[in-house]
Amino acid sequence: MIPHIGLEIHIRLQTKSKLFCSCPSLFGQEANRNVCPVCLGYPGTLPVLNSHAVWLGCLVAQSLQCEIAPCVLFERKNYFYPDLPKNYQISQYALPLGKGGHFVTWNQDVVHIREVHLEEDAGKMIHASDKTYCDYNRAGTPLLEIVTQPDLHSAKAVEYMLQEFRRTVQYLNVCDGNMEEGSLRCDVNISVGSQESLGTKVEIKNLNSFRFVRMALQYEIKRQIALLKEDKLVQQETRQWNEHRDRTELMRSKEDVHDYRYFPEPDLTAYPLKNVFLKTVSKALVELPNERAKRFIHQYKLSDSVAWAITEKKEIADFFEQTVQEGADPLKLVSWLEGEVKKVLNKTGSKLSSSPLTPSRMQKLLWLLETSVIQRKIAQRVLSCIISEDKDPSEIIEEYNWERISDIVYIQKLVENVINAHESVVCDFLEGKEKVVDYLLGKVMEESAGRIDPQLAIQSLRDLLNKKKENR
Amino acid sequence: MWQKLISDQKLFKYYQQYIAYVNEKLNCYTFVQLRMSENDSVGELKNIPIAIKDNIAVKGLPLTCGSELLRQFVSPFDATVVEHLKQAGACIVGKTNLDEFGMGSTTTHSIHGATLNPWDLQRTVGGSSGGSAAAVASGTVPLALGSDTGGSVRLPASFCGIYGLKPSYGSFSRYGLVSFASSFDVVGILADNTELLRTAFKILCRPDPYDQSSRSFPEQQKAVSRRVGVIALHNMVSREVELSYQRSCEYMRARNIELVEITPQTMQYVAPVYHIISTAEASANLARFDGIRYGLRAEDEYDTKDMISETRSRGFADEVKMRILLGTYVLRSGLADRYYHNAQKMRKVIQREWKNIFTQVDAFLLPVYPTLAFVPEELEDQVRQKSADIYTAIANLTGMPALAYPVESDMHIPMGVQLMGDLSSEERLIDTVRYLQTEKTIQRAPAFSGVHEWIKNKSSTQ
Repeated sequence: MIPHIGLEIHIRLQTKSKLFCSCPSLFGQEANRNVCPVCLGYPGTLPVLNSHAVWLGCLVAQSLQCEIAPCVLFERKNYFYPDLPKNYQISQYALPLGKGGHFVTWNQDVVHIREVHLEEDAGKMIHASDKTYCDYNRAGTPLLEIVTQPDLHSAKAVEYMLQEFRRTVQYLNVCDGNMEEGSLRCDVNISVGSQESLGTKVEIKNLNSFRFVRMALQYEIKRQIALLKEDKLVQQETRQWNEHRDRTELMRSKEDVHDYRYFPEPDLTAYPLKNVFLKTVSKALVELPNERAKRFIHQYKLSDSVAWAITEKKEIADFFEQTVQEGADPLKLVSWLEGEVKKVLNKTGSKLSSSPLTPSRMQKLLWLLETSVIQRKIAQRVLSCIISEDKDPSEIIEEYNWERISDIVYIQKLVENVINAHESVVCDFLEGKEKVVDYLLGKVMEESAGRIDPQLAIQSLRDLLNKKKENR
Repeated sequence: MWQKLISDQKLFKYYQQYIAYVNEKLNCYTFVQLRMSENDSVGELKNIPIAIKDNIAVKGLPLTCGSELLRQFVSPFDATVVEHLKQAGACIVGKTNLDEFGMGSTTTHSIHGATLNPWDLQRTVGGSSGGSAAAVASGTVPLALGSDTGGSVRLPASFCGIYGLKPSYGSFSRYGLVSFASSFDVVGILADNTELLRTAFKILCRPDPYDQSSRSFPEQQKAVSRRVGVIALHNMVSREVELSYQRSCEYMRARNIELVEITPQTMQYVAPVYHIISTAEASANLARFDGIRYGLRAEDEYDTKDMISETRSRGFADEVKMRILLGTYVLRSGLADRYYHNAQKMRKVIQREWKNIFTQVDAFLLPVYPTLAFVPEELEDQVRQKSADIYTAIANLTGMPALAYPVESDMHIPMGVQLMGDLSSEERLIDTVRYLQTEKTIQRAPAFSGVHEWIKNKSSTQ
């Protein structure tokens, strides 16, 4: 018995305004702030298509190698629900934006795409004690629905696929991928059958995290297998995940299935997808993160996990490649990008792309470290300065006098001072406590503000201490 | 003359009186907002008083659509057409009565009560823009906006003896017109003279970024139609209508217009196709009235679902409910192919036939309605009334323009015929009608001879 799983992924497209009106498309605003007569479905209002949403939709569809429709056509999907202002949703039915296509997972599984279509989102209902409130901020925000074929066969595979898909849409900058905020939502269709036949499909809704997707599928696969083993039939129905009870529950049976009475939206004329328009989309196409990570592994000899991490965000992967082109060592660069650079950017809350850290400055910094012009600790400080002061590394080093000190006389003097200032520690050493050497070295480095070559410092320290031991 | 009514203090008073008098007798206005013009507006319609059908949005004024559901509703914005009229200097004097959401041909299906025909209070004024037609025919305004989904401007215009223009679909913005059947709906003009009709047409005919179904049309050529198609009526219409149709034909011939008899093969499909598609679209368009965001709400219902169904059950009257049910039915899965999708296919066939007809003739003369203005109580059955739309619905199915104009009649009530043309031929239709008509002004009903007569009488008796 093989589970067959297909996904219906909804992503909220990152547009400034909603799909059919000029209201801002923003999450987390005060309720009913971003609304107007159009998205509230006031009498007399009409929709006006946001062409940027179409553009973003085409970008996703093209990235998934879909066949793009000759024009954008909308249908009305009719059903009554308080969060749906017009009591119909403007969606696509007969001619989706994209058809066919596929998504290749990290494990090289091919998930075929049935269709990609554009639609408007509904509002939200908020239940408080005995009252229900409606917030229409989300009503009319643009959604792209990606429907896959039932090409996945385990809960884990689905979880991975979703994570990779999220990475992809974030990478394309079409969706922030935030599941808690509902920017990425997923319904699953699951049936248990054989190699040849799919079996009866059950739809599961209300899955608002990857974990719930996995848990719901694990539960549902078990449930369906148990039914089949007892020679019972799986009912075609819609179930929902109950996160408090860790189980799927019946939402509506086949008999209650909606008749959406789709018909062409007469308020919108066909929006032709002209070649000029599609060319601008093609120009924006990029190597997708999974492919790019695979290439990095080969080209830069990165490990799987490092390649995966460095391709998480497009700007970082781009920065990486540009810095390597400047001459940086890929492995060393990766450890900086994943370590110090990330840390400093997080602290200042800035983005790499808009920060003064350019690939060329990064390469120079690594080169200065490589050639021992500066110490590692100093290099970290230089990095902070590049980002906060927008200067070249060499300029900073000169200005702050951070160049490595290798003057042996100077070093010996410094070591002597430290030893004289810590007589009791020196006594401990003379009594055989070797470990205090590290402590004294720390003091020496501190005194020099980290500028001395630690190799020379330890050499000099040991020489002096040994001399004291002999003189005793 | 009209301009002075709202700028001259004394005339303004008479104007107020006359509107009140007419409205008391005919019930054509649902709301009157008569204000003296304070600043001298500029524009082609400077200080011209205009009435607006109550399914077209005017900012700050009620937008009831004749429905219980919107009895208290005030529009927060102006329809694009209203904006254009205001910019041209027009002065909106009020909202006019209609059949609920434009569904009907008698202006009786309204929470505001029936509007009466100024020529004969027993007979119907026509509909659904009956309020606008009566307001113009009784001389309270020279110009009014209506809406035409299946004949709603032309029918009352014809029954009241005035001009009624249904423009090409897409030439006027629909933004702010409360949708009934989106692919048929157009804003139309009712006027008491063709000069003003043309001025209004030119002001309103422009694409609107807020209505994607609007579009720009090429500059129209001014010419009189030389070849006009006519139809054999074969007892499809009443004797009076047939006679006046023939008289209109003779009139054309006498003015050297060549008449070509054409028998459209698709006539029998017009009514079913119109009703299937219009009710399907209406069923979705009227779904938004659920009591949640605006309008009537059944407050006594606790459960949301019950509240919605109770609101709709109380808010819509029978005619609207019937159309919603029909529209829902023809879209049902399993039935949609047979009804809705077949109707769409037939609509294309009808469009093709008429496109082809207009390669043979410049315009086509059609009756507006199969009978004279009837007495509502004597109304025949529903189905017959619905199939009476065929002559007007052709223009809506094809998107083509049609102009209803009054013709001479022996009867004590007026009647009109309509001249239909290819897309974007409104100016030619207007020119042709002007060419045909020797009389410059329309006839007015004796009891409602217009505000100017009223003032003349009042001033002389004082």
